[in-house]
Amino acid sequence: MKVFITGFGCISPIGINFPENLKSLQSEKDGLGKSHFLNSLYASKKYFGEVKVDTPQLQKELLFENVEGLTRTDLLAFTAFREAVKNAGLTHDEISSADTAFISASTVGGMCNTDDIYKDANFKSTSNEFVNSYPYSRHTLRIVSLYGLKGFTDTINTACSSSSNALMMGMRLIQSGRIKRAIVGGAESLAKFTVNGFNSLQILAEDKCKPFDCSRDGLNLGEGAAYLVMEAEDVCSGKEHWGRITGSGNSNDAFHTSTLSDNATGVIKCMQLALSDAHISAGQVNYINAHGTGTQNNDQVELTGFSSIFPVIPPFSSTKSYTGHTLAASGAIEAVFCLLSMKYNELYPSLNVANPLEGCGSSLVRKYTTGIEVNYIMSNAYGFGGNCTSLIFSKY
Amino acid sequence: MYITALKTISPQPTYDESFFEGNHIVHSGNKYRVTEPDYTGIINPGLLRRMGKSIRIGIGAGIPLIRNRKDIDAIIIASSEGGQEESIKFLNQILDYNEGPLTPTNFIQSNPNALAGTLALMSQNNCYNITHVHKGNAFECSLTDASLLIEEGKAKTILVGNVEEISDYNFNIEVLAGKYKEKETSSENLLLSGTPGTVCGEGSCMFILEASSKDYFARIGGIEQITFPTEEELHDLVRNMLAKNNLNPTDIDAIILGYNGDSRTDFWYNNLSRRIFPGQPVNTYKNLVGEFPSSIAFAVYLGAWVISGKGSRVTGITLPGKPIRNLLIYNHYYGEQHGLILMST
Repeated sequence: MKVFITGFGCISPIGINFPENLKSLQSEKDGLGKSHFLNSLYASKKYFGEVKVDTPQLQKELLFENVEGLTRTDLLAFTAFREAVKNAGLTHDEISSADTAFISASTVGGMCNTDDIYKDANFKSTSNEFVNSYPYSRHTLRIVSLYGLKGFTDTINTACSSSSNALMMGMRLIQSGRIKRAIVGGAESLAKFTVNGFNSLQILAEDKCKPFDCSRDGLNLGEGAAYLVMEAEDVCSGKEHWGRITGSGNSNDAFHTSTLSDNATGVIKCMQLALSDAHISAGQVNYINAHGTGTQNNDQVELTGFSSIFPVIPPFSSTKSYTGHTLAASGAIEAVFCLLSMKYNELYPSLNVANPLEGCGSSLVRKYTTGIEVNYIMSNAYGFGGNCTSLIFSKY
Repeated sequence: MYITALKTISPQPTYDESFFEGNHIVHSGNKYRVTEPDYTGIINPGLLRRMGKSIRIGIGAGIPLIRNRKDIDAIIIASSEGGQEESIKFLNQILDYNEGPLTPTNFIQSNPNALAGTLALMSQNNCYNITHVHKGNAFECSLTDASLLIEEGKAKTILVGNVEEISDYNFNIEVLAGKYKEKETSSENLLLSGTPGTVCGEGSCMFILEASSKDYFARIGGIEQITFPTEEELHDLVRNMLAKNNLNPTDIDAIILGYNGDSRTDFWYNNLSRRIFPGQPVNTYKNLVGEFPSSIAFAVYLGAWVISGKGSRVTGITLPGKPIRNLLIYNHYYGEQHGLILMST
């Protein structure tokens, strides 16, 4: 069963909808800077990929001003979900049908309200509108309730590869014949909790991140949400689509809780599995959207993986140089970027690269490139806990 | 798919399996905590000191099942919140030290995928690895994932399990949300209390699922889930699930229901059993282990023992006096997420 992507929605540091994201990608305009909305000591010290709309305004634009207990993660998720189902032209009956699944992902969930959860967890408050808002799955269940979804629903948390696994799960459910449609993706908001977590690991960059540059010094945390609508071939014939998802590979590096192995065991395995699942050879891949966080460890290991799989490394880049690392949302946001790339036959670069890492050669895309045939794309994501996922998208 | 091996750390004496010889623990109050085993030979002492509880009990249940096997094709874990104690420790450090320099250990262990990652690391397993955190349906999602892998031919042998821990973090928040009883009950009268709220439980159940087997505890025949349904939608789902498996309600020899003694939401169980399974004896399990999001895994654990015929003296389980061929589990989490698991011989 072929699985087509018939629509998507995306809110990220470079735009509140996908056309805005596309414009920023094409004009090499990143969304990185000091944070305006984050309540943290680091807000003015580090660089972040922040969505340029504050939480009350997001709530207002969604017409949810009087709804209590909504977190920024919820609101980012709602915004992208609404755009996705509209872009795919799904009817209300299609959305709520028992053969439509909804699979989301988040690593912070409602813990973006770090100060509220601190008070509630330590009994320093009597009651709080957010007491039911903290779980990783809460944004998913809010959308399920709002849209009256009756089919399979799921929330995945494999750290930074979470929404790539949500895409994988949706594709496999459709391929199995269990369902006809899946709305898949993830949502993540900046939080004092995660900022301090990544800071304690000493992998936050001092400046804008520089994936695949020799002088890279870490990642910028980002936020956003993206959802994609997948449909089985037999329910979307004649409908416009953005391409297909044709393969996935999932592995574990089994090396260390927060770093990848130098020999790239998990990275290589998930790329190989994805290629064979999609029934294509390494030589057919026209572009790789790398995980490319900008940490010393990640970029070197990923490049080691590329050189072991690809006789000639195809063009690749890290669009985290635009958005920062949006953690559980990154796989879905980058999937949207891949589909835009494929549709318009163009490549979006890694920004801020002055001295490419040895071995990148001319494969590292450093300028917005048009007029290139893009038929097969690989997208990678790796998370703490050794979780590695690769996905393959095809034009036809 | 077939359950061929299983290991559980729960608030009952399941780890040594004396629970299946009539041994049991009576709990009182609102926290039913697990009895942790001696981890000697499973986790080295240095590592054990640094491990949060959810990882500890998950490893304690999971590693014995996989350490001597080279054929594990996937590790799939269900955990609504993962290492909650670790989360709150890290959270408290952030606020108490005003975002000063912190050590990352608690942060790394706070993410729910830490258990699946540690299982892979300790068994040097590079295969499929995923964590479903979908609250009250996380375990159903995990079983569905496993069934997909087997159908796709990508796996023959899979470790599937759950983990949930009681921490101050979730307990205090859930007290504020009105989830627990105000008056003290015991596990002997919890389900008869007739008052709002329930009690908090925890545990880790681990299963080896195989695509085919001649020597097994039970077969998982069906997995269904639905969110925010009406009672009619739920009952239709049960009937359709039975029909898909060519079964009538009378073919179900026993049911296990997720009664938790909460007077606000136990009606779901009353109505489903009265309307669809009026003749069958009702079995319960949250009086044994308390309420927690992926608790249905414990019902599957009980079901596996009962179907295999090995669990004939399980406290609180009423058997129909004949071999059980088909067993249905129904559970919901606070009336929002509902799950059904069909188990057969």
